Amino acid sequence: MKGRVERILTCLFNQKKITRSQFLKLCAGGLTLLAAEKLLFKKLYAVQENTNARVSRNIKGAFDLVSAHGDDPYKMTIQAVNAMGGMAKFVKKDSVVVIKPNIGWDRTPEQAANTNPQVVAALIDMCRQAGARRINVFDITCNETRRCYVSSGIQKIAREKGAVVYMAEDWNMIKAKFAYKSPMEDWPIFRDALTCDTFINLPVLKNHRLTTLTLSIKNLMGVCGGSRGKMHFNIAEKLVHLADFMKPDLTVIDAYRVLMDNGPSGGDLNDVVLKKSLIVGTDPVLTDAYASRLVDIDPMSIPYIKLGVTNKLGSADLAGARIERINTTP
Amino acid sequence: MTHHIRQHTKTWVISRRISQIFFLLLFVYILWSTTYPLSGVLPTETIFKIDPLIMLFTSLSERIILPGIIYSIILLFLTLILGRFFCGWICPLGTAIDMAGAVKKHMPLYGAWPGVIRFIKFGILSIIAAAALLGIQIAWIFDPIVIIARVISLNLIPIVTLCFEKFFMILIQQFEFYGPVSDFYRILKSSLLGVKPYYFSSSLLILLFFALILTLVVFMKRFWCRTFCPLGALYAAAAKFSWLERTVDACTNCKKCSSRCRMGAILPDAAYRKEECILCLDCLYDCPLRITRFSFTRPISHGSISHGSISRRNFMFLIFSALSSLAFRNKKRFSRNNYRSIIRPPGSIKESAFVNRCVRCGNCMKVCVTNGLQPVFFESGLTGMWTPRLVPEIGYCEFNCTLCGEVCPTDAIEKLSKEQKQKTIIGIAVINRKICLPYAEGKECIVCEEHCPTPKKAIQLTPHKINNQVLLKPFIDEKLCIGCGICQTKCPTRPKRSVKVFTKGERPYK
Repeated sequence: MKGRVERILTCLFNQKKITRSQFLKLCAGGLTLLAAEKLLFKKLYAVQENTNARVSRNIKGAFDLVSAHGDDPYKMTIQAVNAMGGMAKFVKKDSVVVIKPNIGWDRTPEQAANTNPQVVAALIDMCRQAGARRINVFDITCNETRRCYVSSGIQKIAREKGAVVYMAEDWNMIKAKFAYKSPMEDWPIFRDALTCDTFINLPVLKNHRLTTLTLSIKNLMGVCGGSRGKMHFNIAEKLVHLADFMKPDLTVIDAYRVLMDNGPSGGDLNDVVLKKSLIVGTDPVLTDAYASRLVDIDPMSIPYIKLGVTNKLGSADLAGARIERINTTP
Repeated sequence: MTHHIRQHTKTWVISRRISQIFFLLLFVYILWSTTYPLSGVLPTETIFKIDPLIMLFTSLSERIILPGIIYSIILLFLTLILGRFFCGWICPLGTAIDMAGAVKKHMPLYGAWPGVIRFIKFGILSIIAAAALLGIQIAWIFDPIVIIARVISLNLIPIVTLCFEKFFMILIQQFEFYGPVSDFYRILKSSLLGVKPYYFSSSLLILLFFALILTLVVFMKRFWCRTFCPLGALYAAAAKFSWLERTVDACTNCKKCSSRCRMGAILPDAAYRKEECILCLDCLYDCPLRITRFSFTRPISHGSISHGSISRRNFMFLIFSALSSLAFRNKKRFSRNNYRSIIRPPGSIKESAFVNRCVRCGNCMKVCVTNGLQPVFFESGLTGMWTPRLVPEIGYCEFNCTLCGEVCPTDAIEKLSKEQKQKTIIGIAVINRKICLPYAEGKECIVCEEHCPTPKKAIQLTPHKINNQVLLKPFIDEKLCIGCGICQTKCPTRPKRSVKVFTKGERPYK
């Protein structure tokens, strides 16, 4: 055995020709070593973490919540985020940012089932100004992905603004590990949503028959793979645990056009109401509670907001929160 | 073969090979770009519009004039001038057969039977023509363009994309290349590979049929083209009168050209059957004396050397009798049998007409964004083999998508506008309350309702109060349901989905 290894080594270093069998043995040996290293490394050095959730950076804005109202969604977004203290607060230089809009449906912006592309454009511009190295935009869609990306208008404008828009691969998932018992344990979460520096959650406010409204916490379903249909049973608890797992750094709720009925897919322009609003906040529960007030729905009647308060994911105390209201109409 | 001939550059043979490869690649490109958003340079129908077998006999059997039939007639006219250049220079199946034939070095000896088997293809063509006169379209079974298009769309492209997908998956996951490799893969995915690799049921059978045709070269080169190809027979009938003609001056009867001819078109005395020649031009270089040449003759000068085939008078008789069958047009012909046992793509014409008109090219299945359109085996009867069917377990009919109608070369699936398509009913969804989660297990689930694409939802929810909690239970509004099947695709119950789309005739009683 020793002789053989020596022979092979001499061949390698003296640049002599090695025989085919020697070459094959070398390859097999190398691969075995690699495999052994991988196995042993995992056994010996892997730190046993009980959670692989995103680490919260706990950034607070100048206010708890900023609500903007105006005619131009692009301007509204810029002014609202600036009122929060500017994007530089949330996005470090050379960092990787994920903007996760709702692109779930093969619908046009007018049909209001997806996030307004102008809001996406404004956020990308601000992230770039703050010096982000890379801005990823994606959603795991309900309709066919390419059609959703095109019809929503988000792919085009986001690429123009310099963001990377791509489709999530169903094999590129990380299984969620929770520090506590959760029905979401082992649920596959898209890797890129977890491996970013800043996660911006960008839902659109719209009607949903099961959860009354689709808001920021519900929008996080778009980073989940697997059989998402099965999430609907006991959905409030699953969503709240998911929001706790994802810990979005910034939540921007687009309420420019609001789908009031037949949600979440919509399709009827008569169901769309122009609300011309935008909500920016760092507490997903608070932004959701404020957004539900916008369409005259009691936040506590929405199961995931109620549970979010009980689980201390955030607060729904609109009276006690520092809220800034701005109007961008000239 | 002597040494100095080897050194001679075979310009014509090389140009022919370049042309063959070019058209094969163009063919693959056209089919590859047959996907959302149809941004290819040439529309997909192009490859079928230039196919006179499909265009003429489908028009004849359906008693219609298919749009774009003029291109196939142009090709027939070109054949009248040049001969069967299509078979030798363009036909992608011919190219594939030539490639397969390249492994076979030894030529068969010249015998009687290569001269006889060539009549089989004329027999097949006449059967196709006779059937077309009777209103039955069977041109698809042996049409070479259809055969290779189906293999490329339903076998080659899925296999290649699957290999790429798995290769990058293993590369990225094993070596944790989440940087540039991952980005490159994503660019590849959004441009070339598409969202996911597609799968097609019974595609093995399609591949086997193709493989069988390729394996026939073990008997002799271009065995399929010589013996069976009805498109070749059609071109042969036209090539009979072509102007371009092969001449050999002062032949020494060395028989090199006749023994090597891939079509068996050259007779031992160096005369040749013009209708069998596919202009591969090998004989220019097989000739040791280089005295073989092709030149244009005046169209009528060659009148006497007929080696059988069909006479001009009979040919004209056939054409005119075919045209006279238009007098038997009967629009009500298809009105009786409109029963479907399977879900057809939106815009499909009436079932019996659909089975007749569909040429099984696989375009609609290739283009379907959700992979829901699948080739059927015998589910719609013996005659319905390889026609498309929507299988909602695999993929649903996307509400805003009209692609299948846009790529159908024979309008078996009509071109619908988006608004028309959204109102086209292809089936009706039925909820199985024995397994539907809210009904059977009292669990919350509104997945079918939230995915329902119609502006006014065809799936509605009724609230039920159970133990102080409101449970929403779905039901179908049959006036609004268009049968797109997204509810069945997304339904989370396994193994059986609790909502299923049925064709109108198949709908079970509640």
